[in-house]
Amino acid sequence: MLLQLRRTTTKYTAITMTNLQNQLAYVWEALNRAVFIVLIMFVFVQLWTAVYETQGATEIAGLSLQATIWYFLIAEVMELGKIRHDERISEEVKDGSVAYTLTRPYNYLAYHFFNGLGETAVKMTLIFLLGLPLVVYYAGWPTVAPGQLLPVLLVGALAMLLDFFAFSIIGLLAFVTEDTFSFRLIYQKFVFILGGLMLPLDFLPGWLQPLARVLPFNLTTYAPAKLFVAFSWAQFWQILGLQILWLTIFGLILLRQYRWATKQLVVNGG
Amino acid sequence: MSDVVVNVNGLAKTFQVKQKAAGLRGSVRSLWRQNTREVTAVSDISFALQKGEMLAFIGPNGAGKSTTIKMLTGILYPSAGQASVLGFTPWKDRRKLGYHIGSVFGQKPQLWYHLPPEDTFRLFARIYELDMAEFQKRRDFLVESFQIADLLQTPVRKLSLGQRMKCEIAASLLHRPRIIFLDEPTIGLDVVAKQQIREAIRYLNEQEQTTIFLTSHDAGDIESLCKRVVIINHGRLIYDNSTSALKRQYLRRKIIDVRFAEPLTEPFALPCVETLKQGTHGLKLEFDGRDVPVETVVQQVMATKPTQDITIADPPLEEIIREIYKK
Repeated sequence: MLLQLRRTTTKYTAITMTNLQNQLAYVWEALNRAVFIVLIMFVFVQLWTAVYETQGATEIAGLSLQATIWYFLIAEVMELGKIRHDERISEEVKDGSVAYTLTRPYNYLAYHFFNGLGETAVKMTLIFLLGLPLVVYYAGWPTVAPGQLLPVLLVGALAMLLDFFAFSIIGLLAFVTEDTFSFRLIYQKFVFILGGLMLPLDFLPGWLQPLARVLPFNLTTYAPAKLFVAFSWAQFWQILGLQILWLTIFGLILLRQYRWATKQLVVNGG
Repeated sequence: MSDVVVNVNGLAKTFQVKQKAAGLRGSVRSLWRQNTREVTAVSDISFALQKGEMLAFIGPNGAGKSTTIKMLTGILYPSAGQASVLGFTPWKDRRKLGYHIGSVFGQKPQLWYHLPPEDTFRLFARIYELDMAEFQKRRDFLVESFQIADLLQTPVRKLSLGQRMKCEIAASLLHRPRIIFLDEPTIGLDVVAKQQIREAIRYLNEQEQTTIFLTSHDAGDIESLCKRVVIINHGRLIYDNSTSALKRQYLRRKIIDVRFAEPLTEPFALPCVETLKQGTHGLKLEFDGRDVPVETVVQQVMATKPTQDITIADPPLEEIIREIYKK
């Protein structure tokens, strides 16, 4: 039992480490893409500085300008660093390489999770480090207390897992539709608006906020960013509860969907 | 313990293929009205495969070869019929079966493109839960068998197709699969690479009794590796017998090439035998074995002049296969 657990851990760690090594071959490309964060953060800083100046306010919906700038850095790190395995699954189905990835002795979705983890680690680190100097220059160092970092990291990890579940549901559709671009686009737009990527949920109209807060989109992006800049234990427990609820719902959907999708799979190329 | 590795009974697979009329009108119409057509990729095939057998599973493009492999490796669910591979039902026990089978799809890479093969080998060792000491021994054995020692540290993107394929096959054998599915493993390779791969596969089969399930369009692969041939066409199994029986059954024409010790003075002539070429010391004849026995032709040839050398050849296997596909 213990030996099997060790073997399983070693197996999935090896998958992450191999992708990590592979990412190092792409490090310049990843760096180039990560430069985008400097550009987008500069735009956000200018935009929100103008908004706060126009309003003549030191705070909007309880967030200072400094907190808002930090909010966007964390939200962008979460969004840009996410595991994008639905595209990979779609490619596997289109080019037929699913014939390899589906027949190996591991859990197919766990393989994609740990495979994506290596890539995500590189992407998130690069994006954060590149965005950091600009954000520190305009907004100073974050005010998050060291004792609050652990719960924020936990919510961040669950946010990533929840997002992975959502993209797995989209990815497995590729077993039937081959292409998942349109589904991904719709999901991303919900994350942009109701997930807090374009603006924190606190800035949404009052009638929309309660709905946005219980939907899963905000739990993948807004939740860790908001807790990082304005931590409260009450909000932490609420977010944690909702994350667990949506993980359970998505998990159950995935269980059924996986069984269904593998029966529907048509592999191209013979 | 039974030596049957693969047992297929009435296996069938049909797909629904979307149909769309050409042009913009067709595209618009397909938005709300989708027509589908049922395509039978595999229809009621049955066969069994014994431990250590090397089977050539051949057929023209679209015959159903790859679909059969994908059902036997558990990727596709069949529409009807049963199959058992090493006692497992592939599509139900895909993960368990994964520990015991290997597969190589000639046109699909499995090695990590930017990493050297050694890194993929190490990853596979973990995925297949191999003991690392055992893995190293196994890797050394395969490195020697496939002669890939100098390729292990080179990123895959820098390898030639032949070099990559040798590494691909070696990677699939790391976990000592009891059966390996090779789907066109020599496609696009030069003669030297093909030969090296064939030799390595044959060696593995001899040493470890690994069952080989091979699809290939290359008659050379079939002739040099497989004692048994199964031919599939339009999804149906149309031939299942030994490679030599295939030749005997379909090889009616023979070609005799003779080299004489003394010059020929007269034109050679024998009823039902066509003279393809006649020189001062050489003669090439073609005839149908049903019209005139080989012995008769050989005796007549040898009675003409003292012979230095004589060869009796069959037409290439490729020609036979082409004949069967046409039927």
